[in-house]
Amino acid sequence: MTKSRRRRISAIVRYTVLTVWALIAFFPIYWIVATSFKIDTQWFAWPPVYVPNPPTLANYLNVWLGKEEYTTTQYAISSQKPLYSLRNSIVIATTSTLLAVVFGSVIAYGVSRYRILSDARMFQLLMLRMIPPIVVVAPLSLYYSALGLLDTMSGLILIYFVTSLPYAVWMAKSFIDEVPREIEQAAELLGASRWRTIFEIVLPLVRSGLVATFLFILILTWSEYLLAFILTKTEVTTLPIELSKYQGSTEGRVYGRQAALAVGITVPLMIVGLAIRRHLARGFSFGMVRR
Amino acid sequence: MARIELKDLTKSFGSTVAVDNLSVTIEDGEFVVFVGPSGCGKTTTLRMIAGFEDPTVGEIRIDGRVVNDVEPRDRGLGMVFQTHALFPHKTVAQNIEFGLRMKKVPSAERQKRVQEVAQMVRIAHLLDKMPSQCSGGESQRIALARTLVTHPSTFLLDEPLSSLDAKLRRELRAECDRLHQTLKRTFIFVTHDQEEAMTLADRIVVMRAGRIEQVGSPMEIYSNPVSYFVADFFGSPSMNLVAGEIAYEHGAPTFRSAGLSLRLPARFEEVVPGTMTLGIRPEHVGVRLDGSGDLSLPVRLVEPLGKDTLLYFNDGTERAFVVVAEGLAMAELAPGTRVGLTFASDRIFLFGNDGRRIVDRPAGRNQVAVADAPPDAAAPDRIAATTGGDGRGAPL
Amino acid sequence: MTTLAEISAADRSQAASPREVSRARAVRRFRWSILAPLIALFAFVVVPVLFLQLYFSFHQWTVYLGTWWDAEFVGLDLFQEVFTDPRFGWAVVRSLVFSIGSTVGCFVIGFALAYLMHKPFRGQAVYYILFILPMLTVPIVVAYTAEMMLYQSGPVNDVISRITGIEFKPAWLTNPNFALTAVMLLEIWNWTPFSFIIMLAGLSAIPKEPIEAAEILGASRWRIFWEVQLPLLRPVIMLALVLRFLEAMAEFPKTWALFQGGPGSATETLPVYIFLTTWQYFQVSKGAAMCYLVMMLMIAIVLVAIKLLQREKRALDAMYAKPAERA
Repeated sequence: MTKSRRRRISAIVRYTVLTVWALIAFFPIYWIVATSFKIDTQWFAWPPVYVPNPPTLANYLNVWLGKEEYTTTQYAISSQKPLYSLRNSIVIATTSTLLAVVFGSVIAYGVSRYRILSDARMFQLLMLRMIPPIVVVAPLSLYYSALGLLDTMSGLILIYFVTSLPYAVWMAKSFIDEVPREIEQAAELLGASRWRTIFEIVLPLVRSGLVATFLFILILTWSEYLLAFILTKTEVTTLPIELSKYQGSTEGRVYGRQAALAVGITVPLMIVGLAIRRHLARGFSFGMVRR
Repeated sequence: MARIELKDLTKSFGSTVAVDNLSVTIEDGEFVVFVGPSGCGKTTTLRMIAGFEDPTVGEIRIDGRVVNDVEPRDRGLGMVFQTHALFPHKTVAQNIEFGLRMKKVPSAERQKRVQEVAQMVRIAHLLDKMPSQCSGGESQRIALARTLVTHPSTFLLDEPLSSLDAKLRRELRAECDRLHQTLKRTFIFVTHDQEEAMTLADRIVVMRAGRIEQVGSPMEIYSNPVSYFVADFFGSPSMNLVAGEIAYEHGAPTFRSAGLSLRLPARFEEVVPGTMTLGIRPEHVGVRLDGSGDLSLPVRLVEPLGKDTLLYFNDGTERAFVVVAEGLAMAELAPGTRVGLTFASDRIFLFGNDGRRIVDRPAGRNQVAVADAPPDAAAPDRIAATTGGDGRGAPL
Repeated sequence: MTTLAEISAADRSQAASPREVSRARAVRRFRWSILAPLIALFAFVVVPVLFLQLYFSFHQWTVYLGTWWDAEFVGLDLFQEVFTDPRFGWAVVRSLVFSIGSTVGCFVIGFALAYLMHKPFRGQAVYYILFILPMLTVPIVVAYTAEMMLYQSGPVNDVISRITGIEFKPAWLTNPNFALTAVMLLEIWNWTPFSFIIMLAGLSAIPKEPIEAAEILGASRWRIFWEVQLPLLRPVIMLALVLRFLEAMAEFPKTWALFQGGPGSATETLPVYIFLTTWQYFQVSKGAAMCYLVMMLMIAIVLVAIKLLQREKRALDAMYAKPAERA
């Protein structure tokens, strides 16, 4: 087989397979975005409407801004507070992630330079996160109710902090490992204390990695459903819960509106995810990939 | 037989041209070294021969057959990489027998050949080890064994010694030489180290910025460089190259620079006056303690090396003028002493502003300076190769 | 006259010089100060929760019974109840089928994609962006999108109808035989990017030269894949499979939001069944016992996983170790 022939066959196979999967991957996303712009008569139409014509912002205005004039009587909306949930999601996610990254990077430094956790412990830490939350959420909710943390933002922040910590440590460690130790030794010779070295020298050097870690964990926390579902009732909701409530409390299915809400939840995540796409591999490799 | 011809070979990556219109023929059994600074295109050329890169323009022929579209595995070549490229998860023995397995050589025969070749490069004691347990020098020898055992007609070596320390480098260099003598196969060797080129090559191809500067035997390259670049690149310590100008004084060509002034031998009488660079190798300058000679200068620095001594002078440029002198008296010279310098008149080179060497003999306008070598049957090829296809000769 | 050995022995006994002692103490203090928050978290969050769970596994209690410490001790009764509950057994089976199926699917597709993508080519960046999008969608959004798409008058049926020429409008979402498969497909869609990214990283980390060396030595593409690339990919493959499997066992939002365990009990995986038991049937103790069992199971799997991953990591480190500095 000559080079050019092999290349041609390769290219055909490659483009075919990749394009097929690209369509599969993208179509659902397209669908929900398109649906969010459809007027209500098009939500259930057969054959289905692929390109909303005329496109409308009614769904967004109704769902996110509560503009009642866009409600049709058939689809009465019970009281939802997406903006409130949005605020909650932002506060809870950023706070817990920030805590996780700060503590995580300090612990990561300790592991990287002083081996405060052995390889085995590091894997155990990771596996802690792999226990299905469902099995601990029941006692957790009782514990929280005793502590008065049920249905509070702090409660969620705390548990998200705990579950994000393993990822934070692992990712931060992979970045800190790449900082040459000579730099810290130089700082030590110049009189810097250990803590100062961490915060003034090492962490600034891995700043971009820490940002990637932060955003990565933010994505996970933002989309979390189960813990938020069980540990909150009426006072606090996060966006994913909001969406599920939407489904349950209305008559039948309100596709266009749900789509508008869903898009609002997902699109920020996608933007963030695409922004850090070069770092995603690091977040997932857990030491199994040679650097 | 394995005769490799590169014809008008060009390789560009986007707007960068890595190899520019390169043509050269490598004869069967030759040890050819492609040498030049980083980025000159030598590795790209080698990879094109191997088949890992496709030429943008041009042909590669092996034994007359055009192989541009042939896969690397079907070209009958063997290759040794700079980073030994051993399979980290296989034992040394499994590494070596890999090529034989691909050719479906039966197991018993494989074992035999692996043993033979392991003896040949003296790594038989490592056969059951993993590559990570072997040192750099051992790894390279294993890499050699791995390719030797498949009996390729041509060996391609991509800077195989560059990652080794000096002592290992010399050892393996000798190993390569020995193998070439024993096997009498074609070796195409790429390096940036001029010493390796000088010691190993039957013929050297000097490359710069994607083009061939000069092709010739090591001695030709050394004693008849066609350009400033080649003259500077080869030789250790490097050739003294002094910028200055030629003027005619009392009818004789004289070279003047900020620090020295020298009357040039008669053979330079045809030279047009102007700015140019004078070149002379450190070992071709004689030292006279009595101060007589072509010129006299105070010694700036004395570096005794044992047998020889390096003497540094100020020639008015940033680069020091170096002279290699023999004899114990030289090592005892005090800095500041004025000594006389004599220039071996047939070892003086002049280089014009374009870098090309200025031909000192009036005969043959486009004849580049291989005039010292007696013409032989292969010479027309070599001369044609030297001019790189567009007949660049030294201007007068 | 002191010998060299005596001098070095004397040196070693100097090891406990005052400077070194205080330095060692400072290092220890530093280490503990970093570990302290970790230990505190563990002690104040993880341990009480685990203890509570253990407690409820052995004490019968429902919400109506007032405070917990009044609950009566029932020994192993709850565990027995769980073990003899056929619904629990089915839930385990469904979870395993779901997890194994979706993990294999994610892996095969992810690996194939990664293999096709690991060498640069025109348009690669666009494909990469499209491929990671599914993972960046919130799982609950995936569930609702799927509902909209699998709706009887939705695009999936439309596309199939157009291709086959007949009007094909089955109600996917109310078909119990399809439900678990549907969730599996969703999971695969949602998480293939994860395997894809990991395998891509692994493939890209394989050094180029051994592969070229293999090519020149006469290996075909298949040979190179099987003998050079695959063995070097074992650690990442292990990682991709293990992590995905564990996460799939815990999957809740998509299953719940789309099917709530139905139709019937077609999608009643372990997380769903536990949820139902504890929060809909209010059999808190039975739920706790179940949780405990599942947790033990998961811990066992996790310990095995840790061993496997550690072994792979060690092999990886050994393979790429720097050669010794002997001649």
